Amino acid sequence: MKNPDAIVIGAGIVGASSALSLTNAGLKVLVIDRGAVSSGTTGAGEGNILVSDKDPGPELTLALHSRNLWFEMQEDVGDSFELEAKGGVVVARRDDAPLMKLATEQSQHGVTIEKCNHARLHELEPYLHPDISSGVFYPQDAQCQPMLAAAHVIRAVVQRGGEFISQAKVTRICVENGAVTGIETSRGTFNAPIIVNATGTWAGEIAQLAGSHLPIAPRKGFILVTEPTKKYIFHKVYDSDYVANVASSDADLQTSTVVEGTRSGTILIGASRERVGFDGSMNYEVLRTLAAQATSLFPVLRDVQLLRAYRGFRPYAPDHLPVIGQDAQVKGLWHSAGHEGAGIGLAPGSAALITDAILGRESFMDGAAFSPQRFATVRV
Amino acid sequence: MIIVIGAGPAGLAAAEAASRNGTEVALLDSASRMGGQYWRHRTKVTGYRSERGETLFAKVRAADSVTHISEASVWSAHREGDLIRVNYLQGGIESSLTAEKIILATGAYDRTLPFPGWDTPGSMTPGAAQSLLKGHDVIAGKRIIVAGTGPFLLPVATGLAEAGAEIVGLLDAHSPLRWSLSPRALLENVSKFSELLYYARLLRKHRITPHFGRAVTAFADGVATISTIDSDFVMKSGRSRAIKADVVAVGWGFLPDLSLGGILGCAQKVDSDGTVIFEVDQNQLSSQPHIWIAGEATGIGGADLSLIEGEIAGLAASGQKISSSLFRNRARKQRFADALKRTYPVRDGWRQWITPSTIICRCEEVRSQEIADSVIELGAEDSRTSKLFTRAGMGLCQGRMCSRNVSEIVSGITQCAVTDGERIAASNRPTAAPISLGQLADGKNSL
Amino acid sequence: MTQTISFTFNGATIECEAGQSIASALINEDQRELQRTRFGDEPRSIFCGIGICFDCVVVINGVANQRSCLIEAQDGMNIESAQ
Repeated sequence: MKNPDAIVIGAGIVGASSALSLTNAGLKVLVIDRGAVSSGTTGAGEGNILVSDKDPGPELTLALHSRNLWFEMQEDVGDSFELEAKGGVVVARRDDAPLMKLATEQSQHGVTIEKCNHARLHELEPYLHPDISSGVFYPQDAQCQPMLAAAHVIRAVVQRGGEFISQAKVTRICVENGAVTGIETSRGTFNAPIIVNATGTWAGEIAQLAGSHLPIAPRKGFILVTEPTKKYIFHKVYDSDYVANVASSDADLQTSTVVEGTRSGTILIGASRERVGFDGSMNYEVLRTLAAQATSLFPVLRDVQLLRAYRGFRPYAPDHLPVIGQDAQVKGLWHSAGHEGAGIGLAPGSAALITDAILGRESFMDGAAFSPQRFATVRV
Repeated sequence: MIIVIGAGPAGLAAAEAASRNGTEVALLDSASRMGGQYWRHRTKVTGYRSERGETLFAKVRAADSVTHISEASVWSAHREGDLIRVNYLQGGIESSLTAEKIILATGAYDRTLPFPGWDTPGSMTPGAAQSLLKGHDVIAGKRIIVAGTGPFLLPVATGLAEAGAEIVGLLDAHSPLRWSLSPRALLENVSKFSELLYYARLLRKHRITPHFGRAVTAFADGVATISTIDSDFVMKSGRSRAIKADVVAVGWGFLPDLSLGGILGCAQKVDSDGTVIFEVDQNQLSSQPHIWIAGEATGIGGADLSLIEGEIAGLAASGQKISSSLFRNRARKQRFADALKRTYPVRDGWRQWITPSTIICRCEEVRSQEIADSVIELGAEDSRTSKLFTRAGMGLCQGRMCSRNVSEIVSGITQCAVTDGERIAASNRPTAAPISLGQLADGKNSL
Repeated sequence: MTQTISFTFNGATIECEAGQSIASALINEDQRELQRTRFGDEPRSIFCGIGICFDCVVVINGVANQRSCLIEAQDGMNIESAQ
């Protein structure tokens, strides 16, 4: 496909969703990736599709719509990626006032909440530490298997006339008169007037190739995976510290407690955030902290063995909002990147936003808050 | 102090050698007795030249500067300034030791290939049959077939026969005539002939006739299918027979466990037989300062080579002189190890033994068809991606049993060779042994 | 003189010598099946015998995924195939 209607760079969940959305809108789409499907952050994701962790504002609006689009995508592509509306339980270990306040605000903006007392909390999660007595249940939170999702979505794109080329590293983005005309890669040159940069943590490098700029940086996170166990965890469970950490700009290590089960019986435990560039080395102190936090929420996990631990690099922008929209300088270059730890949940919603913007039609929300224009600096 | 991890031939030799000048050695091993797999025993080592093992045990026990820490399962290790910290579990409690120098001698495990029924009860490795016998005085079954390839099949079959088991088949995929490919190695390792005679006598005593060019290609309901195979391991059509057996002990050489060295950042490479091993210099020093590696992890080569490598590592780490005869002996044994690889290679034809429903990843019950689908339907091009889609290699054993086979199955479909990078990535894990979340948590700030 | 010890496996009493592994004791008593797989409910038994493959795992006194080929049987252990 030498002259597709659009090229999507990045075959993670954001790229895959964008490609599907554009394909379903009638475009011939070429997806390329320097590696294989899900070889970036998507391959290190837990599969979170959350509304519970977002403050009212544009990101919550995006998250709510995107969550519903996930279920539409399942209808469209098939039930092949373990999508489950399992619901989230956020617990307050200490003072529950901030959590309750947030929940009330969220409920006024489309989020379904159920404030839980001790009895209800322990009915939802029987293995939760008995001292924890306050929390909120968010039935809209969901989970999927993100690598499978990206792979099946790419497959659907190909089945519907698109193409996917892996192991193709972009070496140049061709710009003429301020507009993109195509890309050069290690596997050939491709021409298109529309390029979608869905390269996540590496989106800044791609922007640079086009002579533009995107301030997206990595935020490292570890996940512990346990051996398969009897079902101990019934929803995604996390403590209300998680929300504060996401919004923080501290470079130092921050951890919060996030625990959830999976279809295969293993339990995933997070979450840590560090700005250490792309240093991927193992950090046993972080693993211990995550283990300590998880076992303090669920004492039964003390006897459960660690199977493995892995890390990924979340892509984030300085204001912790995703970057969705046309590049500030280069026409035809569209970005959908910087989704930080919410990339999976926000992927189809971002895809819808960007497809609408590319086709010049009204979208389900005003995406101005996500626009790359917000980083445009005055040129001297 | 030197920490030696692994008390098999290499680790014992390293500890003994280092102790000669009084150097403090902490010898950690996960088993309750010394000897590793090669000298596995309950009361005394038995088998060919068993006194070699007993003698080395005695020397190590007698060495004042060596402390043997048994039942210590090392799960991780990392640098702390100039020292290396080794974290281990013993009796359910986590402890750690620090030292300036480490010698890794963690040995190897049987390499296996899938075939229909290999996952069912009664199908095991020769190492399992050996361990049941030597470690626990239990014979694995009544009618046993020992199969696969390599010299390890001989001690297993004869050991079982000596203990009263009925060996109804001893099958090697390769003929011993292949040794003629390595005349030098044979000539300079003449002691191996007496070893061969030892086994030949036992085979004759128990009326076991080995067959070559054969493999177990299926096992179900107490019946093993024995196929005649060509030099590429492809089944010759119409040349299969059924033999009643309750145990098939099948092994295809060995694979080293590289987890600890990988955690410590020791550089790896791919050996001529496709096995991932560590790079070491002539003193067995790895790419990491103060970390030496000896034994199977530097290249599968058997006990003789492990003993010499261990001795060299122990001498090097403790600052003692290494004689040139030791280096010459090692070279001789390395040539023998190369001869082993030349004589008993594993060929691709095994991929035709499996059916779509054959389990490839035992832990996660992933079948061959699912792996094929991940490539054909979902575009997985390497085992890492196939793993993400199918869960192969994500189970309790973390790919130790299956990851090489998954890579080669994927490679067979994509027609792209497995890259060295893929082989190396597949053998690295963040933890070397199981540890519970409670143990992990309790170790925080207290170690 | 080796001591005889006894433990239960899925309710049945098994006797063995002190120092033997749980798996070896079970195999010696012709109890070959050690566990059943979690997806396909397929029977599994000892495979690698040295603690690498985790096919021999059993539940010991309520704790799951314990390698029976490595762990010595202790008097009074309550062992099950599954939780």
